[in-house]
Formats: sequence, C-alpha cells, structure tokens
Amino acid sequence: MPNASDLARASRPTTARPTAARVARIAALLALVAVVLLFPSLAPDPFILSVGVVILSYAVLATSWNLVGGFTGYISLGHAAYSGLGGYATALLITRTGLDPWLSLVAGGLIVAVVAIPVGIASLRVRGASFVIVSIALVLILQLTFQSWHTFTGGSGGLRVPRPFGPEVLRPEQHERFFYLHAVLLALALLTWWAIERSRLGAGLKAIREDEDKAQALGVPTFAYKLTALVVSAFFTALGGGLYALWFGYLDPIFQFSILVGTYMVLMSLLGGVRSLFGPLLGAVVVGYAVEVFKSQYGDTQFHLVATGILLGLVVLFMPDGVIPALTSFVNRRRRASSIREVSAEELANQREEAAR
Amino acid sequence: MRATRRLTVAAIAATAALSLSACLASPGQSGEETDGADDPIVIGVSLPLTGDFAEPGKGVQRGYEAWAAHTNENGGLLGRQVELVIVDDQSNADRVASDYERLINQDGVDLVFGPFSTRLVVPAAQVAQDYGFLFVEPAGAAAEVFTQGFDNLFYAAPAIADDHYNHLADDILALPEDEQPKSIAVASMDDPFAMGTAYGLRDKLAEAGIEVVVDEVYPPNTTDFSGIAAKIADSEAELLIVGSQYQDGVNLVVALQQQGYQPQMAAISGAPTNAEFPAAIGDKTEGILAPTGYTTTAPYPSNEEFVEAYTAEHGTPPAEDEANAWTTGQVVAAAVEAVGCADPTPECQGQLIDWLHENEVETVVGTLGWDAEGRPQSAHLIQQYVDGEIKIVLPEDVKEADLIHPKPEW
Amino acid sequence: MTGALFAQSLVLGILLGGLYALLAAGLTLYFGVMRVVMIAHSAFLILAAYLAWYFHERTGIDPLLSLVITVPLFFVVGYGMQRFLVSRLRPISLTTMSVLLTFAIALTIEGLLGFVWTGTQRRVQLDYSGTSIEVAGVSIAVVKLIAFGLAAVSLGALYLILRKTSFGRALRATTQHPEAARLVGIDTDRVAGLGFGLGLATAAVGGTALSLDYTIYPSLHWHWIGPLMAIIVVGGLGSIPGAAIAALLLGVAASLLQVPLGTTWAQTVFYLALFVTLMIRPQGFFGGRLAQRF
Repeated sequence: MPNASDLARASRPTTARPTAARVARIAALLALVAVVLLFPSLAPDPFILSVGVVILSYAVLATSWNLVGGFTGYISLGHAAYSGLGGYATALLITRTGLDPWLSLVAGGLIVAVVAIPVGIASLRVRGASFVIVSIALVLILQLTFQSWHTFTGGSGGLRVPRPFGPEVLRPEQHERFFYLHAVLLALALLTWWAIERSRLGAGLKAIREDEDKAQALGVPTFAYKLTALVVSAFFTALGGGLYALWFGYLDPIFQFSILVGTYMVLMSLLGGVRSLFGPLLGAVVVGYAVEVFKSQYGDTQFHLVATGILLGLVVLFMPDGVIPALTSFVNRRRRASSIREVSAEELANQREEAAR
Repeated sequence: MRATRRLTVAAIAATAALSLSACLASPGQSGEETDGADDPIVIGVSLPLTGDFAEPGKGVQRGYEAWAAHTNENGGLLGRQVELVIVDDQSNADRVASDYERLINQDGVDLVFGPFSTRLVVPAAQVAQDYGFLFVEPAGAAAEVFTQGFDNLFYAAPAIADDHYNHLADDILALPEDEQPKSIAVASMDDPFAMGTAYGLRDKLAEAGIEVVVDEVYPPNTTDFSGIAAKIADSEAELLIVGSQYQDGVNLVVALQQQGYQPQMAAISGAPTNAEFPAAIGDKTEGILAPTGYTTTAPYPSNEEFVEAYTAEHGTPPAEDEANAWTTGQVVAAAVEAVGCADPTPECQGQLIDWLHENEVETVVGTLGWDAEGRPQSAHLIQQYVDGEIKIVLPEDVKEADLIHPKPEW
Repeated sequence: MTGALFAQSLVLGILLGGLYALLAAGLTLYFGVMRVVMIAHSAFLILAAYLAWYFHERTGIDPLLSLVITVPLFFVVGYGMQRFLVSRLRPISLTTMSVLLTFAIALTIEGLLGFVWTGTQRRVQLDYSGTSIEVAGVSIAVVKLIAFGLAAVSLGALYLILRKTSFGRALRATTQHPEAARLVGIDTDRVAGLGFGLGLATAAVGGTALSLDYTIYPSLHWHWIGPLMAIIVVGGLGSIPGAAIAALLLGVAASLLQVPLGTTWAQTVFYLALFVTLMIRPQGFFGGRLAQRF
C-alpha cells in the first residue's frame, strides 16, 4: 500500500527530483521541439505537410479540451461548438468589420470565451450529467442556427475565409507558415496547462475531479473554479478553430459544428491520458495518423465510425485513464513490482470501493 | 518520473508518426517527371462514396468510369490511355481538400475532375486554383459557387441552379391573365442547390406580381413535414414550388396528400426525375413538373453514343449524375485535344483554362459555353409526368408532350 | 394564423408529443435506475426503425408486426448491456464514463447501419401512407394516429408495470435509494438490468412507430437525441411523468411555433427550454429530487 508521503510526492512532482530524470525530461522536450521545427523541411511534399497541419490542429484542440476535461473530469462532447464558433467569429470579424486577420483571431477567441460563461453557468451548477447534455445540445443548436441564418453566417452556402497572406504566398508556403503558427498556439496551450497545474487553481480543480463533495467541504470554490477552467478551455479551443479556419479558408456549418469533431477531441485526450500535459498531444498524433491511414485503407465504407466507436468503448471500459498511462503503469509494475508506486486519489477510492464490496 | 517517461513516449511517438506519415505516400508515383508519350494520362477525382452524398456520388463515379472506359476503347486522349484515380472524401469538406492536395502533390495526377455537391466543390476548387489546375465539376450548381473568384472553374451542365426553371417561368408568364396562378407556396431544403432552383422560379414570378403566400425552408435532416404541409394546405396556394433533394421531396408530397392539398401546378426539383419517385408517392404523379439537365432522349449528337455505351456496360440507362460526369469528361477532353497537352504544369493547365473560356464544347447535354466565372449559358429542360411517364414539355422545340395545366388531383 | 391551421398544428403537436413522451420515458428510466445518460437510446430507436423497414421490405408484411421480434430482442440487449458493459464502469465516475460508453455504442450502431444499408434514406411504403381521416376540419394521417396509439399504449403499460407490479416497486425503490433498496433485500443489480431492458424496449416500440411515417437514415439519431435529452432535463432527470408532460408540452410548442417561425427556428425551442431550465430550476420542472445532484 502506498503511504502518505508517496502521495505527497505524486502531487508535487517538481520538488526533490533526481537530476538524471530532469536531464532526460529536458532532452525529451528538446527532441519534441526539434521534430516540430524540422518537420516542414523533412516533409517530402505539400500533402504530407498539410497532414502535419491537421495533426497539430487536432493537438491544439485536444490540449484545449483537456484544460476542462482533464482537470475537472467533466467530459464535454461538444467542444466542436467552441472551435466552430471560433472559426466563424474570426471569419465574420474579417469579412464584416475588415479587422486585421490576426486581431480577429484573438478577438474571436475572446468573444467565444464570453459566450462560454452563460453556458458554464447553466451547465456547471450541477454535476456531470447536465454538463454533457448541454455540451451536445450546444453543438446541435449552433449547427441549426448557423445553417439557417443565411444573412449573417452565409448559412448552408458556407463562408469563405479571406487569406491572411497575400496571393504571392503559394500554397506549400502557406502550409509551412500555418504549421508553425499551430505549433506556437500548441505551445501556448501547453504552457497554460503547465501553469495552471502548479497553481492554486489547478490544485482545486484536481480536488474537484477526485471528489467534488469533499473539495467543496474543504472550501474550494468549486463552481468558480470549474467555470474558469471551462472559459480558458473555450478560449483556446476557439483560437484553434479560428486558426484552422484561416488556413482552410472555408467554413460550412455541418462540418464546423460536428459531433464527430468533438468526439475526436475526447478520444485523443483519453487515449493519451487526461492527467498529463502531453497526453492529448500524443493522442492527437496517434488518432490523426490513424484516421489518415484508415481512410486510405478502408475509405469506401462507413467503417471509420465503427472503428471510432469501438475504440472509444474499449478505452472507456478498460483504460479510462488512457492507453499510454495504462501501458506505462503496466510496464512499471512489471519492472519494479516492489518499489514505490504512484497512486491517484481515484485509484485509491476505487480500491476502497472494491474492498468494501 | 511518470511525466518524464510519458514525455519521452510522446516525443518518440511523434517522431515515429511524423516520419511514418511519409509512408502515406503511395508507392510507384515518383515517375511522373518522366511522363512519356505512352504513359497514361492520370486523372484525379475525389468523390463522396460514403456519408450523406454517397448515392449521387456513386452515380458520378459510374459516369466517370464509363467515360474513361469509352475513351480508352476509342484510342484515348492525345493517343494516350486515360487512368482514373478515385478517392473517397466521406462527404466531408476537410477531407475533400486534403484529397485534392494528395492527388496533385503525391499521386502526381495530370488532370483533376470535380467532386459532387456544392458543399464540397468550393473547398476543392480552392486547392485546384492554388496549384493552377483546371477544375471542371459536375455538381456545384448553386449561384454561390460562381461568386468566389475562381477563374479555373467550369460547371459541366446546361445552367446554374437559379436558371433551371427559366423555360417554365417564361411559359407561366405567357399564359393569359386568368389562367396564371394567383398565389405561390414555396418550400425548400436548406441547401444551396435546392434553394437556388426553387428561388429562381419564385423570384421571377414574384417580380411579375404573383403573390408568395408561404415561403418555408427546412433543414436537411428534417423528417417530419406535416407542419409545413399544414401551412401550405391552409394557404391554398395555386402554384407549389418545392426545392428538394430526393427523399424530402417524397415526404413533403406524401404529407401534402395526407392533408388533402391540391395545387393547380406543382414544380418540384430534385425528386421527380428519380426513377423510384412514382412508386414512393403511390403513383400519384400525374402533372408534376420538374427541371432536368439531362434526358436519355435528348437529340444531341454524342448523347446516343453515351446512352448506348453506358447501357451496354450497366444494363440501365444513365441518369443525370452519370450524364454530368460524362459531360465533365467531354469538356476536359475537348480542351486537352484542342490545346494538345495534358500535364500538371501551370503552362498547360493555364492553356486549358484559357481555351475553355473562349470556346464552346459539344456535349451530351447540348452545346456548352461559359462566362468568366464558369457559369454555363444554357437552360434546363422542363419535364412533366404525362400519362404516367415523365416527358419533356418545355421548351417547345424539343417537347415530347404538351404541358398539362391545371394539374390533375393527387 | 387561421383557426383551422391552429387546430391542425395543435393536433400534429400532440401526435408528435406522444412519440416524444414514450422515448423520453425510456431515456429517463435509465437515468433513474443507473444514473446513466444513455446517448445510444436514439441510435437504438433508428435501429428498430431500420429493422421494421427491412422486415417489411423482405416479407411485405405490415412493419408493425416486427414488434413481436424487436421488443423482446431489445429487452434482452438492454439487459445484457447493463449487466456486461455499464456495470463494469467504476462507480465513482459512472455518469460521465457511461456517457462516453453509450456514445461509443451510438457511433458503432450508426456506422454499422451505414455499412449494411448504406446512407440512402429509407421509407416504408404502405397502402395507407397518404390516407387520412378528417375530424372537424382537421385531417389526421392514419399512420400518425397508429404511431400515437402505439406510444400511448406502451406508456400506459410502462406506468402499470412501475405502479402495480412488485418489480415496479423494486425498480422505484432502486431509483429512489439504491443502498436502502439493497438493505431491504432487493437485488438492485438485477433490477437495474431489467430497467435497462425495459428502457430499450421503449426504443423498439418507438422505432417501429417512427418507421410508419418517417424517413430513416443512419445519422438520424442525432436529430432525436437532442430534443429527448432536453425533455428529460426539463421534466426532471429520472421522473417518468415529468418526461411525459414535458414531451407533450414541448412537442405542441414546437408544432405551434413552426407556423410563425418556420421549421428550423421552431426546433430550437427544445434547446431554449433546456438552457432556461438549467438556469432557473436545474432539478427540472416536474421532477423529483434526484436531478439536483446531477
């Protein structure tokens, strides 16, 4: 059984860390940065580069989703609402007000963050079920309204998004620029996650995830914390959607407000592990790559839905903390069965629950 | 420790996946630089073979394949064989753009053909334009497609959506005052193409002073039409205009029958030209009007050849989707033969585009010519169910039967 | 709006509301016994409709008769789903994880439907599809009347089962207080499984009713799950009478609003009701205490 000091160590991962581990950590981080920086010059053709942009965009969205899903344990199936709104807000600000594209992007993100406040108030006062229901309802209602509001959103005819770079910037070059822009946004989202994790807010959020009643009893302002997490998450998701819209150049309500896009965000985060900084990024790379391969192998069938469904079901049933965490802990257990283990409060609670049965 | 390991795993996985993505490259496509005179001309197409647009997408696929087979039997293009690379875009706009990106950059295709549905044409045309490719498409008829500033785009059908009913509008307005319908009820699916056709007729008649009493739009996922039918029935409008895809048109007609509504004239785009339509509404089709861009009996020179070749291969005569695909093939082939090149270089593609802007092409849907934005300059035929069969009734010079007015009860 | 159009819309709203009521009752039943938001409910609904259509297509017999097969089948599937899938989830995160699990099931069903029967829209073609009877100037389609009757009878049967049988008492006890129910000797796991089966059986009935007068296609279930979830929140999560009342009210409201607002905007009434409910009365307007905590 783990003892109290192990738990304390687990919750404060930075202190008293052996230097070797720190070196390894920094080396791995540098390797990751190097891969991202070098990728555009290594990509054999613009198509591969565009796949890279899509995967990074997935990573941005999944990491943003994890700001609320990972910290609080509240699962949102409708985060496509925020990315879609971000795309439309950016595009409409450019076309309607003539604002600079990059300012529009940031302003769009802020607008969506404001929109997320009443949504959060409606759905976060009670526990998980209402939150999920509202998240799905939000996507459905936005798809309906953006599809029919022809005079404002372009409706079912779609909306062209003007290019931020001039016509002299050729398409492959655009891909490269947007690849780096997405990388910067991803870095910002990761940094925010990292900063929140070691803040008081992060501690409170994790307490909510493990046991909301106890957190409340201990004086954590649960509602305000949950709302903050949702708003920050919506902001980054909207930036991700907006940046993608600037790159892709065309918005259609059916594809912007799609349940499937929201599902991918959840699946990626769950696969990589919702409790870790780089989990969603890892999940995005795996899922993004798998989607591409699956498409080229089994493109002519509806099988991708079945595969997504079954994969999600298996993860939920057998590896709710994520595939990578499950594998890592399996390896750990094999390797040093007798040494110290890190156990989360939820795992402890489960052990207790099982013992009580 | 855990965080470190996961970061390491992430770094390794990212590296692996990004380098693996190079393996997405299909093998054996590196030789396009050395295209010789005997190599086939490779034509890339992305089509919705699964998802919402799968049915018409497959029709377009049959048309393209029939055209390629027919062309190859008759000596190919510029003496070279034609080879199609068709990929599935799952009816998804993100995918369709990525597909053309891949076809052009990785599969090294010499030419591209357009996808199906207005919603997929715009993102696909953008990619083609960015790489300087000629983009002839069989199915993006909505007016919005042609106002996006594409100079490489050509629609391979007689008319854009808004002009489909032109012959009918002229005919109605030519009727004596007392025979003209006094009121119009419009219902359309919220879809650029369906709305384009319905509103084209509505606006022309409304301009002439006929009153629009019901004007309904329903989302594509609508399955309950009783509310709309109630409104239309209550209005007792004399002319019914419906912009539909297929099933929604059937559902609306059944709902109108349930509520006992009898218009004097019913113009329904989309559904009635489908072979299954009469059975689906209980064979009460008499007098229903519909625009069509294609009929197997149309008296154009290459049409007979098309119907024969297609029927020989598939056992059934072609429908409009197949015909539009075949037309796309004819249009591109005409440009290629005239200019004498078929390769992905901007020079060749530019010449093809310029040639189409300046010339007309003989096709199975008649002679086509385009304006600067790629709008074809003809009009659709108007068909009507007469004695249980769908026949051309307008324009006068090609009609197979006289227009019935007022429409018998359904 | 003319009087005739008002009456017509009102009748249409009640007919539609009846179908919503039956389906929402099933959805809220799962929540009651298991605290599970069953996203796949409407996917099973569409599956049942497909089975009815396929049955009719193959045999030419009236699709209503497919109920004889689908209702027991769905009951068994529901029972199995609860016992072998949902009950495996960790109790501590059951509500959120069950959403994901049932969501995954919904995606799988949608994918398989598309795989087997393609994305083509289907509709059962009956001799009486276009037939209607006229009562006081209001025409009522025969197929809609049958669907409504089916929903009303099933809802009545569900009510009787819950009120008059010992199983119903056990189920209500499980809904209200699982621990206490266990203490008085109720096998709550088994009851929850049977409750799940009962809920899924309502989807079978609803799907068959749906197939009579509606077009079906694989992704149609998203169109149904939104309004249904809104209904059970407005009615109070876990409350069957609440769900039925909310379904009728919102069905009628949507039908009447369609006249001035049009189809699209009328559909938003469900979502508006959902947001308003959560803002001012999160436990729902007609429901019990359960909803407060979820």
